[in-house]
Amino acid sequence: MSSAPRRFEEVAAGRWRLARGAERGMDADAEVFASPAILQAAQDDASIEQVVNVACLPGLVGSSLAMPDIHYGYGFCIGGVAAFAAAAGIVLPGGVGYDINCGVRLLASSIPAVELGPVRERIGHGILQRIPTGLTPRANYKLNKKEFQRVLANGAREIVRNFAGEAGDLEFIEADGCLPFDQPGVIGPKACERGSSQLGTLGSGNHFIELQEVVEIYDPAAARLFGLETGRIAVMIHTGSRGFGHQVASDYIETFRKRNLARLKLRDPQLVHAAIHSAEGRNYLQALNAASNFAWANRQLLQEDVLAILEEALGAGRDKLGLRLVYDQAHNIAKFESHEVGGRPTDLLVHRKGATRALPPGHADIPAKYRAAGQPVLIPGSMGSSSYVLRGTASAASAGTFFTSAHGAGRRLSRHQAVKLAAQTDVRERMEKRGVLVCSLSSQGLKEEIPEAYKDIDDVVRVTVASGISEKVARLRPLLVVKG
Amino acid sequence: MRNYETFSTTADSGIRFQGGDFRELYGNALRALNLLLFGRNPRRGAGGEAVTFRFRGDGPENVLVNFLAAVLELAYRDGRRVSAVDFRHAGRRRLEARLQLAPRRGSPRVEVKSVTYHNLRVSEKNGVLRAAVVLDV
Repeated sequence: MSSAPRRFEEVAAGRWRLARGAERGMDADAEVFASPAILQAAQDDASIEQVVNVACLPGLVGSSLAMPDIHYGYGFCIGGVAAFAAAAGIVLPGGVGYDINCGVRLLASSIPAVELGPVRERIGHGILQRIPTGLTPRANYKLNKKEFQRVLANGAREIVRNFAGEAGDLEFIEADGCLPFDQPGVIGPKACERGSSQLGTLGSGNHFIELQEVVEIYDPAAARLFGLETGRIAVMIHTGSRGFGHQVASDYIETFRKRNLARLKLRDPQLVHAAIHSAEGRNYLQALNAASNFAWANRQLLQEDVLAILEEALGAGRDKLGLRLVYDQAHNIAKFESHEVGGRPTDLLVHRKGATRALPPGHADIPAKYRAAGQPVLIPGSMGSSSYVLRGTASAASAGTFFTSAHGAGRRLSRHQAVKLAAQTDVRERMEKRGVLVCSLSSQGLKEEIPEAYKDIDDVVRVTVASGISEKVARLRPLLVVKG
Repeated sequence: MRNYETFSTTADSGIRFQGGDFRELYGNALRALNLLLFGRNPRRGAGGEAVTFRFRGDGPENVLVNFLAAVLELAYRDGRRVSAVDFRHAGRRRLEARLQLAPRRGSPRVEVKSVTYHNLRVSEKNGVLRAAVVLDV
């Protein structure tokens, strides 16, 4: 898949711009944070076309943005960011994606990595046994209607209150793990049906639970605040709102089409949108918040399941093991935020699809403990490569990113290409040689997720840092990977 | 192009299909989705059960997305493969069909989570209708 290459101009280190008006309908600039190689790949897989399509949307504030992990999605590219005025702008489900509040959670510990060796396999199998993964219909938490509605209203708080976990975790979750939701009527029955049996499940595809070792610290002061220490174990969880979020997105794309499609001039029908203050816009935002809360509740439950397995395997409680939540962040979401635009604070609805909020030091929305460092930014790699913890920077203000950073390595190969490449490979054996134990119920799924399927995470992080949108804090390497 | 086939994008998968009329187009859409979900040689067997699908939309793209979403729902919610389809009405804006279900035997080999409208347009050239649907996997 490719489109005619566009002539982007490098306006700052790692920041490439196609000026507004370069194409008919482009009312805003398109900007990509990339190395020349990443930009070329984005031209080749037509994700640049998607950045340009977003630059044609009405009322875009600032630029249509793409982060260094840009790759081809539907509607928006993955790694795409777009902001609209809260007062008179638009909202679009295609700017969030189907897996609403897909995100990453990181826990630090004081467990020395060397202590993991003897119990690593037991922990991996324990996770696979306890946590439903992949296509399995099995659910550990079957909620009745009232319980389910409470999860939608309260997010991670509901889990801490009525299932498991500690109230102290909530401060370390973006938006404290709960966005406002008080209109159950905006959620369709299919979404409720899909969601009520999927809480506490990991899913498939690129979702994972990893035990990692902190191997390198770049910013000792920030690492100390985040509780990251070289040679210690960390836990990373990547999943989202499961079938619930998907159904919410599908339902509202249908609603938006019915109400608005005929009068919109769209380059891609996946970019169907509504005014934020229209009835359907307000309802979607409510439903989006409910799905976001579901995802935070899901990651909270998964955390508790993983911690129980670790406690059992290591024979000690979480306090003794120093297990604590570093941060939980969304990378598929639209949220109201205040940003400086033209020198004035402006209320915006910021859409991030495969992109991470990265607030600067001192920002009021960062946990007090981290305020001197900036918001932790979690960038997972593939099953065979490093993951990174970065932090938000003040210098990002001048980059016009609405304090946003990359969210991962970003795919390079399609699933089909990856499976073909790995056809003759025993992925588990290959990873074992690299010191990574991989546990999964799906051999096909593992082949789709081979390290070669992803961009070089080091290159993505290099560009992210060089362009000033985040700073490196720590690098982690995988020791145990559980894939859906 | 074959009457139906699968394709990949960087992050997702898709199906491409064609037909001489809407009946053929929707039928080949189902065959393409089954190919992606169950492979070339799904386990066969006499079914017996059937469900009716009815949808009225704003155009063939809208009909396609909702038809395929219904097939996915049967696959993942109920573990059922639609093995055959008997179209009562197949037009630009309306589809009514009886979906024959194969017996429960295993689940789909991939998880398709949603049917998207990404760049979806049913086009017509030389009397042949064509479309490509990107699926969120």
